[in-house]
Amino acid sequence: MNSSSSPLLATHGLCFSFGKRPILHDVNLRVEPGSIYGFLGPNGAGKSTTMRLLLGLLRPAAGSVQLFGHDLARHRVALLGRVGALIENPSLYDHLTGHENVEATRRLRGVAAHRTAEVLALVGLTDNAHRPAREYSLGMRQRLGLAIALLSDPDLLLLDEPTNGLDPNGIIEMRELMRRLRQEQGKTIVVSSHLINEIEKVATHVGVIQQGRLVFQGSLPDLQRLQTGRTRLVLETQDADTCRNLLPRLLAGATPAGPGTLWLPWVSREHTAEVAAAVTAAGLPLYGLHLEQPSLEDTFLHLTEARPTLA
Amino acid sequence: MNSVLTPALPELATLPAATNPFGQLRRTLAADALKLRRTAALRLTLLSGAFPVLLAFLIFFFKGHEILKAGGTPWPRFISLAWQTAGTLLLPLFVVLLTSLVVNIETKATAWKHLYAQPVGRGAVFFSKLLLILALNAVALVLFVGLVLGAGALLGVLQPKLGFQAHAVPMEVVLRMLGRTYVATLGLLAVQYVVSLYWRSFVVPVGVGMGAVVATVALLSWEHADKIPYAAPLMTSVSMRMSKAGVLEAGHELAKHEWYSLAWCGGALLLGYLLLYRRNMTT
Repeated sequence: MNSSSSPLLATHGLCFSFGKRPILHDVNLRVEPGSIYGFLGPNGAGKSTTMRLLLGLLRPAAGSVQLFGHDLARHRVALLGRVGALIENPSLYDHLTGHENVEATRRLRGVAAHRTAEVLALVGLTDNAHRPAREYSLGMRQRLGLAIALLSDPDLLLLDEPTNGLDPNGIIEMRELMRRLRQEQGKTIVVSSHLINEIEKVATHVGVIQQGRLVFQGSLPDLQRLQTGRTRLVLETQDADTCRNLLPRLLAGATPAGPGTLWLPWVSREHTAEVAAAVTAAGLPLYGLHLEQPSLEDTFLHLTEARPTLA
Repeated sequence: MNSVLTPALPELATLPAATNPFGQLRRTLAADALKLRRTAALRLTLLSGAFPVLLAFLIFFFKGHEILKAGGTPWPRFISLAWQTAGTLLLPLFVVLLTSLVVNIETKATAWKHLYAQPVGRGAVFFSKLLLILALNAVALVLFVGLVLGAGALLGVLQPKLGFQAHAVPMEVVLRMLGRTYVATLGLLAVQYVVSLYWRSFVVPVGVGMGAVVATVALLSWEHADKIPYAAPLMTSVSMRMSKAGVLEAGHELAKHEWYSLAWCGGALLLGYLLLYRRNMTT
């Protein structure tokens, strides 16, 4: 991550607890302008709490939030004027139409009147704008929530699990919309999710949170490099144990994964060749030798399983 | 990662200007007024005054000749009957329901988190809804008074024997009572408002309000009953008297219980504001 540019959003040592139960511990987020920051973590890891802290809905026990280089606690109202947010399920007034729902927030924010029709068109709800929100499907509600978040043409968008409850089509649409907002309008987007697959196709940067701690933060290529380090060599032979006993030096780091399968950490091409030669020289059959790269999902699961030190 | 030519990035150093608190309040109020459309709170406000007036109208339509045996102007008896029907139980319950319904508009939409993430201060949110409830309360009372006078005029046409058309409306007393009754509702209105905001539910404030109104009726003979905010509308309603000459009388100044109502209003709002201002917005 380019650390020379000033971040659009940064948190410093953010801590939060509900009563005595600690929720967040020393979270240092850093979101570059013009990025789509995928904020990942399993349910209950503290994603929503972090999002609420970023909007000033909660007061941190320690630490601070900086938006656009200013302290949120001190300039909350002014800074929120440049932020659009969709927190969990969208807040919709069921007795109002889609149009009136947008209009309510438009009046509250003092945004120009023509924006209502614009954002409804942007999320494809123009035709349904005059139906009451209670008749909307889950996907339409989510899109209406996004339209409201986009009203003020904000520089920063905070989307908390925006694809929750959407069908595959809806998820693809949401992804396309995020990509367009970044590419065409230069918006910075922080989007939280518990699924890496949803994020990897659209995010430029990723932060992974686990039990209230940030366990990884970096660009998507950084995360991919982390996963290369976990590439393994899969060796298939007749009997894994015999093979390991005959070649104790070469196969010291191997773990048996089946009666005839051994996993070795991948070191280099030369090492791979040496293993192949040694197995044949020892008179053991070599049925297969291939590289296996864990998927991004495996890497994510690995990150959120254990508690490694801060990446 | 696809590198993109991002359009000019937002200027980071300059702090965007926030509108002044009154501008924020005005915008919040405009949004809150829109949210009232098609709500039970609005229907309640427009219709609640009709019930006690209808009751008084029917009583006078069928039994007016017995009530007004003594002759003279029928207005004082008619007005005090309608006023006491409305003021004893209906008015406190109306205020309880109204505040709960208005606050519930946000609660039902899970919109508090949305509202507090908008660029308006918490004070604007607090006072906008308060002003809205105060205005609806005033509209309901004015509608009630209009209906009372309208029903009297209608009786003058339908039952000329009762004499509504022949006597003047005691307008000054009616207006004075209108103002005092409004003041009498402010204490319980503020208490209910803070309870609704604090618990962010519909059931809790309605339960608390109903319980308080019922308890008040039981406690009316207590020497400190005038300090209970839920008793004030009732006390104001029954304070309207008819002199022996058949003239409607009501005190020119605020009664003691009405001052207590104002004190409750100020105290509850101050406490509620302090309580809610620094509150964390969870769930």
